[in-house]
Amino acid sequence: MLGAMLMAAPLVWTLLLSLKANSELMRDSGTAFSAPYTLENYRAVLQGSSAFRWLLNSLIVSTGTMIGVLILCSLAGYGFARLEFPFRRTLFVFVLLGLAIPEQAVILPRHQLFAALHLHNSYPGLILPGLAGPFGVFFMTQYFRAIPRELDEAAMLDGASRLRIFWKVLLPLTLPAQATLGVFTFLAAWNDYWWPLISATRSERFTLTVGLASAQMNYAQTSGLGFLMAQAVFASLPILIVYLLFQKQIVRAIAGTSGR
Amino acid sequence: MRLGQLAAVALVAGALLPTAGCDPGARAEIYVQRFFGECGALYGRETDVAKAEGECGIVTAMINRFAARNPDLQVDTNVVAWPGYAQLAAQIAAGDPPDLVTMHQSVISDYQSRGLLEPMDAILREAEVRPEDFTVAARRGVTKHGAIYGLPWDTVGGLYHVNTALFARAGLMRAGKPVLPRSAEELLAHARRFKAATGKPYLVQSQVNDPATHVRNFYTYLLAQDAPIFPDRDHIRLRTPEARRVVALFRTIDREGLTTRNQDYPAAVASFMNGEGGVFLTGTWMLGPFEQESRTPGRALFGAYAVYPYPRLWGHEAAYVDGHAWVMPKRERTPAQRQALARLLRFMAAHNFDWSRTGHLPAFQPVVESAAFAALPHRRDIAPLARIGFAPCPMPRSVLSFLPLFSGP
Repeated sequence: MLGAMLMAAPLVWTLLLSLKANSELMRDSGTAFSAPYTLENYRAVLQGSSAFRWLLNSLIVSTGTMIGVLILCSLAGYGFARLEFPFRRTLFVFVLLGLAIPEQAVILPRHQLFAALHLHNSYPGLILPGLAGPFGVFFMTQYFRAIPRELDEAAMLDGASRLRIFWKVLLPLTLPAQATLGVFTFLAAWNDYWWPLISATRSERFTLTVGLASAQMNYAQTSGLGFLMAQAVFASLPILIVYLLFQKQIVRAIAGTSGR
Repeated sequence: MRLGQLAAVALVAGALLPTAGCDPGARAEIYVQRFFGECGALYGRETDVAKAEGECGIVTAMINRFAARNPDLQVDTNVVAWPGYAQLAAQIAAGDPPDLVTMHQSVISDYQSRGLLEPMDAILREAEVRPEDFTVAARRGVTKHGAIYGLPWDTVGGLYHVNTALFARAGLMRAGKPVLPRSAEELLAHARRFKAATGKPYLVQSQVNDPATHVRNFYTYLLAQDAPIFPDRDHIRLRTPEARRVVALFRTIDREGLTTRNQDYPAAVASFMNGEGGVFLTGTWMLGPFEQESRTPGRALFGAYAVYPYPRLWGHEAAYVDGHAWVMPKRERTPAQRQALARLLRFMAAHNFDWSRTGHLPAFQPVVESAAFAALPHRRDIAPLARIGFAPCPMPRSVLSFLPLFSGP
């Protein structure tokens, strides 16, 4: 109970601040606990910017990235776990090395590459970098490896092809892992700030994180604290809705994964 | 339709497409990028600049007005997250920079030295904007190696924001004006007297997470002593007697409890607004909110607010300042676009007074000297900043990593 209250406290604090006038908070943020409250900050968020356009962009980018990662990582994971091909182990280690390379190290060549391909300010430009997910490949490989090979062999005896075994037999068994990886990928793409900041430089392609940041004045934490908090609430609402709708699946997925 | 007909249609369409942009009736398109935030809810359709308030409101209304008055031009505005340099660098790297972009004057050197900005002497001439009209501080801020690299828009600097009610209790008012120190020793004497009389610290400072405050204080008093800060473009010189003097003063202030301690910027602002200290060392951008407080009955600053440049403690009067400017990244532009930009620059320069309502000092001397500017609250008192303001140049190569030294909105 105490833990839940500690977790909820910053969220409640954010919500209360978002309902107060900026000028009032500038003098004393402690007034968040007392009336009057206002929806003015939410009006400013919704009317003052292209918030819904940015929301749509974030949805497209996050969903696109999630779908792409699930497809690619499932196929790669199946390949590494089940197929025999030359340099399989070396290639797997090579993929894992990707985990050790921070995004900052490759941002310049990546930016130049995307510039040369004229992919900046486009959805592919925002989605493609997120598809290279060594963690997802590793995660799905481990999951496929944990599935008994007898299932494959039984299906082979029945005359199923590799693709059919993957699609009809093994993939359904990885749904908990898919859910976990999907949630993590979606959240990472939703919260990503840096790459969208330098790739989407035109307002019509801003994601929500970049768009909301652009709407802030400097020193927003002083003169626009309520507006800042309203932005935070607005940006987190879709995620909250996703969590509420898929709460059971998400909890089951994470619990199932940890139990394996 | 047969294949031959399709090919013919495609050929005709292909031949027509490249000429679409050459249509003499097409509007010249210019791409303006700025920070200062987004405030479309309040000012999205406002074209009366006089009705707009605050940086965001005024710049939005100005661009709206320009677009409304120039229907033959297409003005696309892109609002970027403050300060926007990550995006600008990315746009330049991708070969797609904006036509006109807001830039701090302290940052111009960094881009200009890499050949990324266009000199603007010619386009300013075309716009009938006279550099001779720039204030001393503004002209210094945009001039690099004899050429002008931006239309200066203001001067931003640190100020002494004073709670005159507390000053009166400490006996530090004379003829209705606060008595400011004229030396380091006098500052300490005033501060001790202030604390004894009011029980509150003399200075309000944001010491946490706000290196800009310290840099402003430090550079200002180094400049006052003519101490060279940057002996060349790659080095900074701080081990000097002048620097030790400044640091010793602020250490004494801190040790004796003559300043607020352990406050970040929002906390320091709240402290000053609630009358918890005598002098708040912050920038021109807070003039508006504090002036508003001073006109609101019941508030700690009601009828009790004054503001001045940093007083001279050593050497001569000086202030470390920065400013906002409009610069043109290098890129290909059509003659029509250049003409459109010249019109926009002329418009911006003509409305410099409107911008000065933000609290920043105008970049044009005739505006500083105008009756309209002097009629704005406190502007006469802070006007010397336009004369004594100076940004030490050349800035180091790594200036971008030090941003924001001046983080006014």
